[in-house]
Amino acid sequence: MGENEEKRTLTYLERLKQKAITQENYGGEIKEEEAKMEVHDCPECGAGRAFRQGLTACAYCGFKFMDIRLTDGVHIKKENNS
Amino acid sequence: MFGLFDKKYHNPELLETIRQTQDRWFDFLDKLETRMHEMCMAAVPEIREVFNQDTDLYKRAHGHMLMGLRGQIDQMRHKANKTKEENIFYFIDCATAELPDFISSAGREYHNKLHTFRMDCINRHYIFEEKIAHYTSLLNNAAGEQDLEAIYQEQLTAFENIRDKFVCKQCGGNMTIPQIFFIATYITCPFCQTQNTFIPSTGAQMVLHQARCLAEQRTAHLLKIYEETKPKNHHLYQQYLRSMFDEWNKIVPDMAEENEKFHQRLLQDHSNSINHY
Repeated sequence: MGENEEKRTLTYLERLKQKAITQENYGGEIKEEEAKMEVHDCPECGAGRAFRQGLTACAYCGFKFMDIRLTDGVHIKKENNS
Repeated sequence: MFGLFDKKYHNPELLETIRQTQDRWFDFLDKLETRMHEMCMAAVPEIREVFNQDTDLYKRAHGHMLMGLRGQIDQMRHKANKTKEENIFYFIDCATAELPDFISSAGREYHNKLHTFRMDCINRHYIFEEKIAHYTSLLNNAAGEQDLEAIYQEQLTAFENIRDKFVCKQCGGNMTIPQIFFIATYITCPFCQTQNTFIPSTGAQMVLHQARCLAEQRTAHLLKIYEETKPKNHHLYQQYLRSMFDEWNKIVPDMAEENEKFHQRLLQDHSNSINHY
């Protein structure tokens, strides 16, 4: 192995390494976040979101939180439709 | 007819060209292999370093680097294939066309020589392909395995520490998270019945992503036993898959139903595949 050959391999690797490290990921960096709790109040009457025949409408004033029909997922089930 | 009484065919020039072509082909592959060896040997510690320094959750910098190196190896494979087609097979086809009939005694000797030449070149190329497979797996395994078990246990402890620390956003009542969740879920406040949305930490969300790898790490010994049997024993593979999926479901019980479908699919794929030798 000639000296030049070795140099070429190294510089190629160095360049590749630099590029791999500095390349920006699609969607940006991922931020590590702590577990948290959130709540969605009813914008009409200010009541907390309670379960009454489902979760898609406010249990107190009937305001529709969402227009779509829910299908079965991991935690959200069809029964959550108001 | 059939050239049975033809004079013996002599073509020392062709023999010389065959010898030179074969030498060039062997030299060419030797050079590619040396280059591949140098590159991979220098790359292994670098890959490990990038992997260890990579703070991205999905280790994407490591992924980029690995892809770049594998691309280089693919380029070499491509070059070898091209040269084989253009300089070996094309040459053989041209030379064959100019020889006397294969069934004549005059032609047979040279046809045999060309056949031997072709087989030697193919065998040498086969060795080259085996080296590609060897170096590719060397690069793939260069970073070593992450200790996913430790990461998982860390998340379990972290969850135990925070599970009682949440209060209802609506009424301030104390809430306890019933089990560890890996994706956002509704938790009902026991006092005001408000549905709070619990969003797990990024680390806990990653458990869902790593669950399969962790299950595979836990059952790697079973896969090894299966892989070492010759001929491959179908039942051992089924045993391995079953315990791998059991472990997987233990880690993320919420996904058990989906995982079972995938289990069925893998079993089916395996019984349909032909690689059981």
